[in-house]
Amino acid sequence: MKDFLKSNSVKIFLSAVFVVIVLSVFTNSIQSNMVSSTVNSITAPLSKVTAAATNEDNRSIEEIKAENEELKKENKKLRSQLVNYYDTLTENTRLWKFYGLKKENPQFTLVPGTVLRRDPNDEFYSCTLDKGSTSEVSQGDPVVSENGLVGWVSEVDLNTCKVVTVLSPQTSVGAIDNKTSDTGIISGSAKYCDDNLTTMSKLSADHKVKKGDIITSTGISGLYPKGLIIGEVTDICYDTYNTSYYAVVKPYDNIKKITELAIITDYTGQGEVLINGKSENK
Amino acid sequence: MNNIKFFRYLAYSIEILILFVLGSTPSLFKEIYGATPCLLVSLAITISVFEPEVPSMVFGFVCGALTDLGFSNSIGTFAIGLTIVCFILGYCANNIITVSFWNVMLATIIIVTALLSIHFLFSYVMAGYADGAVYFVNHYISRIVQTILYTVVFYYLNKFIYTTLNDQ
Repeated sequence: MKDFLKSNSVKIFLSAVFVVIVLSVFTNSIQSNMVSSTVNSITAPLSKVTAAATNEDNRSIEEIKAENEELKKENKKLRSQLVNYYDTLTENTRLWKFYGLKKENPQFTLVPGTVLRRDPNDEFYSCTLDKGSTSEVSQGDPVVSENGLVGWVSEVDLNTCKVVTVLSPQTSVGAIDNKTSDTGIISGSAKYCDDNLTTMSKLSADHKVKKGDIITSTGISGLYPKGLIIGEVTDICYDTYNTSYYAVVKPYDNIKKITELAIITDYTGQGEVLINGKSENK
Repeated sequence: MNNIKFFRYLAYSIEILILFVLGSTPSLFKEIYGATPCLLVSLAITISVFEPEVPSMVFGFVCGALTDLGFSNSIGTFAIGLTIVCFILGYCANNIITVSFWNVMLATIIIVTALLSIHFLFSYVMAGYADGAVYFVNHYISRIVQTILYTVVFYYLNKFIYTTLNDQ
């Protein structure tokens, strides 16, 4: 044993441990590093192949049948809503003309991406997309699907970027209930993330948020565009620890399994903080 | 390094690369209680029981670093942990303990539980997330069990590689 402790192996071991600790401190102190960029560049082609191979729909017949039934019900409901739609449209047109209001839609610059990897150690279903800084993606960019906000870019490499989803507690999005104008903060929770749910916290004591209300982003911080759909309220709860109400919000996508996303790299009002309705550059 | 040893190490390296990609491929491994196994941790342990301490340490570092990079852009708990553990395991397997299936499983249970508990401590408890126990019960226990179970497969696979590509 004494011989072993004096051997070259132990010297190599101690040197290696020192190098690994230094490397750990080095990689933790910078945003993007050569190690991860190199690994991502080497494994990206293989990841693309395996990701493409597993993108097939692998749901069971029972699941498809259940979804079909649900869609039929929704279709029936939508058909009845369509009858009222034209009346509303006529009235809406009249009102627009009467008040001379103009609806403004922010112009998004979208970069579509495919999910390359799901981080196996992350409990909040973050993923890696096949778009990086070469596609002008930068840290903090919002990530959306066709149904609304999915998350934000947390780290960017040359060819890939990591997305933290709205199911994660790391996410913090200013949100508003479009029906009642109640505001709150969208942030994930361990209690709900497994059920593909997130929470809208910091609701005021006299809030009027109800089940079925649609939640969108406020755009106040300049980090997310205004009016991005986040999800639908499924429940209102009281947090005894924070002594405040919060709403449980269900995103319209199954974030745990989504594979096609888009990154908003530029939009009107990006980086501008709204203070009392006026914008200020951040 | 002779040719046989080179090809053995090459086989381990290919194994690591493939498992890194497969382990992070979306929807490939079905989540059981919200978790998938840490394949590279099992692999590093099973390589260490057959190889000398220094090569074991190198493979441990590579597996640990890739496991860390799958989670974030930085090297951390797994890289440091597996570098140390694989060196010690490599030495013990060659000098102190007899390599048998049950010895390897016992070592795996201890190492995997310790490493993932440390990872949980750094990533969730010290990060100050609420409901820390929920993560552990819902995800980490399942991940620990699955990782240990995969060791059975990797033990026989690496034993096959070691016995086939060995000049002794």
